[in-house]
Parts: sequence; structure tokens; C-alpha cells
Amino acid sequence: MSTAEHNRRLEWKDAIAELTTKPPDDIRRIYIPDRLLGWIIPVGALLVWELFARLGMLPPNWLPAPTVVGKTIYQLAVSGDLLKHAGITIARVAVGFLLGASAGTLLGGLTGYLTVARKLVDPTLQALRSVPSIAWVPLFLLWLGIQETSKIALISVGAFFPVYLNLSVAMRHVDPKLLEVGKLYRLSSFQMVRRLILPAVLPEYIVGLRTGLGLAWMFVVAAELLGASSGIGYLMIDGEMTGRAAVILASVILFAIFGKVTDWGMNAIGRRLLGHRAR
Amino acid sequence: MVNTDFDQHGALNIEIARKAFSSSKGSLLALKDILLTINSGEFVCIVGGSGCGKTTLLRIIAGLETDYEGAVFLDGKKLTGTGLDRGVVFQEHRLLSWLTVHDNVGFGLAGLVSEDRSRDIRHYISLVGLPQFENEYPHQLSGGMSQRVAIARALAGRPEVLLLDEPFASLDALTRMRMQQEILRIWQAERTTVVLVTHDIEEAVYLADRVVILSPRPGTIMNILPVDLPRPRDRADREFVRMRKSIHDELLGSGSENDLAPEPVSDNF
Repeated sequence: MSTAEHNRRLEWKDAIAELTTKPPDDIRRIYIPDRLLGWIIPVGALLVWELFARLGMLPPNWLPAPTVVGKTIYQLAVSGDLLKHAGITIARVAVGFLLGASAGTLLGGLTGYLTVARKLVDPTLQALRSVPSIAWVPLFLLWLGIQETSKIALISVGAFFPVYLNLSVAMRHVDPKLLEVGKLYRLSSFQMVRRLILPAVLPEYIVGLRTGLGLAWMFVVAAELLGASSGIGYLMIDGEMTGRAAVILASVILFAIFGKVTDWGMNAIGRRLLGHRAR
Repeated sequence: MVNTDFDQHGALNIEIARKAFSSSKGSLLALKDILLTINSGEFVCIVGGSGCGKTTLLRIIAGLETDYEGAVFLDGKKLTGTGLDRGVVFQEHRLLSWLTVHDNVGFGLAGLVSEDRSRDIRHYISLVGLPQFENEYPHQLSGGMSQRVAIARALAGRPEVLLLDEPFASLDALTRMRMQQEILRIWQAERTTVVLVTHDIEEAVYLADRVVILSPRPGTIMNILPVDLPRPRDRADREFVRMRKSIHDELLGSGSENDLAPEPVSDNF
């Protein structure tokens, strides 16, 4: 392209830019890194919220200012209540998730590997899965009492299904062409599982574990809302009973933080296991 | 694992009376009366159109198909299943995505002493021309490179017979020709018996000591042609072209033209 032609093109482009509306041009001039883009809305909302609360436009017993919520979390931490309630909630999630994920791994692996096991077990489990899990609460309370057992049972049910389903389906869909490679080298059934099937299903299995962990957090809230004398869910109910919106909001934020942190941890473990395969 | 008697190894006697596949629609006769002797160190290409049972024949030799009437003997010993004495390369590379090139090549050698094993693996990675890619993963390799790794894996067990099932069919024309030269070089270096299945007549004439022509439905041996041209062969050589044409005519005479259309390339891997 000649210089003259180049110039002409530039002029032409400028002329068009002037004819069209300005805003897109203006926005482009403010440079915002992509990773900060997602923060604009939440930070902006917090600022507006804080402003409105300070101006007295939001009733404090209905929507207290973010700083008040922050102070509530701080007070909970200082008084030791945070450690106590968060500790018990985390323990419930940990035990429930471990039990549910273990059962899901065991049954998922069995049904994924043995067709006869799948035909025997899968229809029943699929039927049970279609029951909304919260619907088990009354039964668990009746059977297992209002102590820890019923809560952990509910959390386990939540964690079980994603792990079971992902593992079972993934194992069934391992490429038979890869299994043939194992056959060429006369791998035993055990080696076949350890050296071919397990590595092949690992990505799907990790997705199952992450989903299961997310559901475990969801179900701990349900379990603690429906009858507990400790835990962050109990704090929520307590806040509701005593009309302290700040406590409820503080609990919501704590759940969000714990959920995010554990998911991040699980993701990190997954990436480590997957090695180069993680994107 | 060490063969002291090089000349006596890798001779195949194939005696398949019939091989049928049964499905809900009925039984399909894939192979019938296949009598074939392959000498130690020989390079044999099996050509035929799609559905002539050439892949089935190779899978029987590999031990992946065991339900057939007849027997296959390797050095006089009846084969009963798969084994390290036969290395197999498929049309798709079938490498394991979670293992490096090194570990893929060594996949079948898990039971061996680690020092020998590592040396063997390096030897075969170098043999296929990829020494600098030892620690790469399959997704970092091109199609031709992946197939080289698959060949190295097949050779790593020090097989007496190398079985290749349309190994270059999914590669582009240029890479395919390069790989054909490579496989000849590797064969000359390793002195294994090679059985290569292909629908590419030129490939068969370029590579083989003998070309076995299969006719379809049911697959039977139509003809066996020795290729007495010196290597490296010139694809434009008059005798080469004449040979290619005679196989072409023989195959076309036996069935419809469609039988020679390129087979659909598998979309796996």
C-alpha cells in the first residue's frame, strides 16, 4: 500500500468515526485491564450500598451498611463465636463430603467398571436422585435424630450423586481403542484400571468432586437452617430470630468465602493431579 | 527378550478357515480360506478395498480377534492372544494423553528392569527421529510425530513382527511419503518382519517385498505379487507404474469402483 493510499484510508476512517456516535471511542480511551473488569460491578454496588446506608436511605435493621456487616464479622471473630460456628460447619462439610464422595467413588467405580453392577444399582440410584434432597430432611431427623448424624447424612447425599454420576459415566465411556492398547500389552484387570481407566477418567472425576463439594456446602446450609444449635447456618437463624440483619449477611458472606476457598483448594489439587492436562 | 538366532524369528504361518462377525442382522463372513506364509524379516503389504477384511486379518495376527476358525503360528508356535512378540500400530496413534513420549513408548515395558528399559525407550525414540521430544506430551505433537511415537511404542517390546494397520492413512500426502521412507529405514535397522495393511496401492508397491491382494466379501487372497524392484524405489519408474496398474486392475476387476475409494479417516485422536 502506498503512503498516499495509506493516508487516504486513515482520513476516510477518521471521517467515519466522526459520523458514527462517539461513546465506543470514549470508552476505549479508559484503559482497564481485563481481570479488573469483573470487579467494577461488585465494588460499585458496595460503594452505592454504603453510601445509601450512611445517608439513611436504607433501614439499618433491613439492610445494614457493608462496613457494619464487616464489623459484625470482626466482632464474631474476636468473641470466638466465629471459630466455634465456622469450625463446626466446616467439620460437618468435611465429614459429610468425605463420606459421600467415598461412597460415590466406590459405587461409581463399580458401576462404571462392571456392567452387571450398573444394571443392578443404577436404576435405583437414579430414582433416588430424582428426589429433591431437602425432602429427606424430615426422614433423616426421624431416623437419625437432630444431632450431627442426620446433618452429615444429608450432606453426604448431596456430595454423593455428582461424584457417583461423573465417575460412572466417565468409566463407561473410556475409549475402547485405548483399552485395546492395554490388551496388546496383556495388562491384568487391575493394571487396566490403574494404568488406563483411572488416568483417563481423572478429569471428569475431579469435576464430580468439585460439584459434590459445592453441593455439600449447599446442604450444610439446609441442615443447619432446619435445626441446629451451632454452625454458621445456626447464626443465620439466630440473626433472623433476633432481627439482626448484619449477622445474617455476615453468615452469607462467610458461606461464600468458605465455599470459594474450598473449591479453589479442590481445583488446585485437581490441577496438580492432572498435571499438564489442566488448562 | 534377547534374540540370539535372528534369522529364525518372526516367521508367520496364517491358516484362517473362516472368520465371521455375527450381529442382530445376521452373520457376515469377513475372511475365508486365508493361507499365507510370511518369512522372517519380510515386508508384506496387504491391500484391498474397504470391507475386504484386511484389518480383521491384521487383528487376528495381533491377537485382538480370537474368535475364528483356524490358527496363526509365529515361528511354529500357535498364537493364543496378544503378546509383546507382535508390535501393533493402528491408523490412529492411540497414545495416552497423560503420559510423555518417553512413558508412552515404555507403556508396555512396565515389568522390565528400569535401566534396560530406559535405555531401550531412548533407543526407539531416537530410531523414529524424535530424541528431542522425549518429555513432550501427545497434544504437543503433530500427526506424523504422534505416529512415529506409536511406531516406537510398538517396537519397544522388541517384537518379532511389526503389524501396521493403515498407519499413514490419516496423514497428509507429504508426511505420508516421508513416513513410508521412515518405516523402510526402521525395518532395515530392526530387521523385524513387517505386515502392513493399506488401501493405498502405491504405498504397497513402494514398501513391500510381497503384496497380498485381498478380494472383498468374503475376504480371500486373490493374488500374491512379489515386488522385485531395488530400494529405494522410484515411484515414476516404468516397472513400478506397471505393477501399480496391474494391482489396480486386479482389484477393480473384482468389485465395484467404490471399493477402492479412500476409506473414511477415523475421527478419533
